[in-house]
Amino acid sequence: MMLLAKAALGLGTTIVLAGAYTMREGVIRIDVDEYHAGGSHVHMWVPAAAVPMAMHFVPAEHMRHVSYQAREAMPILHAIVKELKKYPDSEFVEVDDHDQHIRVRTHDGRLQIDVDAPDQKVHVLCPLSTIEDVTTQLEEHGPTA
Amino acid sequence: MLNRYKVLFARTALIATAVLLLSPLGTLAQATAAPASSSQSTASASKDRWLHVRVISSDAKGETVRVNVPLELAEKLLPAIHQDRIHDGKVKIDNAHMNDVDLHALVDAIRTTKDGEFVTVQSNDCDVRVAKQSNHLIVHVLDKENSKKSEVEVKVPMKVIDALFSAGKDELDIVAALHALSAQGDTELVSVKDHENTVRVWLDSKNVTD
Repeated sequence: MMLLAKAALGLGTTIVLAGAYTMREGVIRIDVDEYHAGGSHVHMWVPAAAVPMAMHFVPAEHMRHVSYQAREAMPILHAIVKELKKYPDSEFVEVDDHDQHIRVRTHDGRLQIDVDAPDQKVHVLCPLSTIEDVTTQLEEHGPTA
Repeated sequence: MLNRYKVLFARTALIATAVLLLSPLGTLAQATAAPASSSQSTASASKDRWLHVRVISSDAKGETVRVNVPLELAEKLLPAIHQDRIHDGKVKIDNAHMNDVDLHALVDAIRTTKDGEFVTVQSNDCDVRVAKQSNHLIVHVLDKENSKKSEVEVKVPMKVIDALFSAGKDELDIVAALHALSAQGDTELVSVKDHENTVRVWLDSKNVTD
């Protein structure tokens, strides 16, 4: 009984610490629903801290390829994220008409993009710090690195 | 007795483990529930200057567009864009589309002249007024051609115009203009009203539209 309790405590502590570390930056949520024939339905939920960690395991050649393809957008993306971090709770774009709603905002240091239209729904929620980590890693693998 | 304590300890450890294991789920639930409760305070705590654009369409679709841009963000972002005519926060002007008008000379003339009316047109179709007033360039157009009137009013501080034309001859320095704009007080820059749309562009310190 005693041994079991010690093992359970050790396991529990490890899981909690790992969970707390993984969840420290929140989660990335991507929900895409296209309401037409053959439309895709993507529902992704990933711990934000796991993404930069997982990128370390991506083969360097793939990282270089992605970095090369994104080379023009990278400085802009980096500048946007760096500046957006100064505005953790702000509305930037809101478009409403009778059946569509688009919203781009930051909330609690996370970038939130919502598109609600009759034929599709897109909801993206991603911590700005994660986007910054990802862009930094891509820049490190870029042609100029 | 000792055995009783051992059992008690073991039970406590198991309960503690169970609680520890379940606690991240609670945190997770809060994290996922957070986006739903999005009615956060959007009051800007700093002295940031925000450029707001609001378009309200009164047609059947009733479209509303609200854009709020911190000037500092725009100032930092523009130099990173290198696309077509935009480089380092400056936009190249194509001389071919300027009909040989020397914009710099024109701006210089307006800057050095005293306050007054430059253009005043009053007709049955429309009224046009271009004036310099209290260090602002004002353009006012009232279109009376149709039964549905439309009105355009543009009011730009002269310092912003100066900054805009402070780059080379064939360039507009957008970043410098934004910087000059950020030094201005709360002001309405553009107002367009017609039977279908109302457009407002203004500057203040709030990060939300009215």
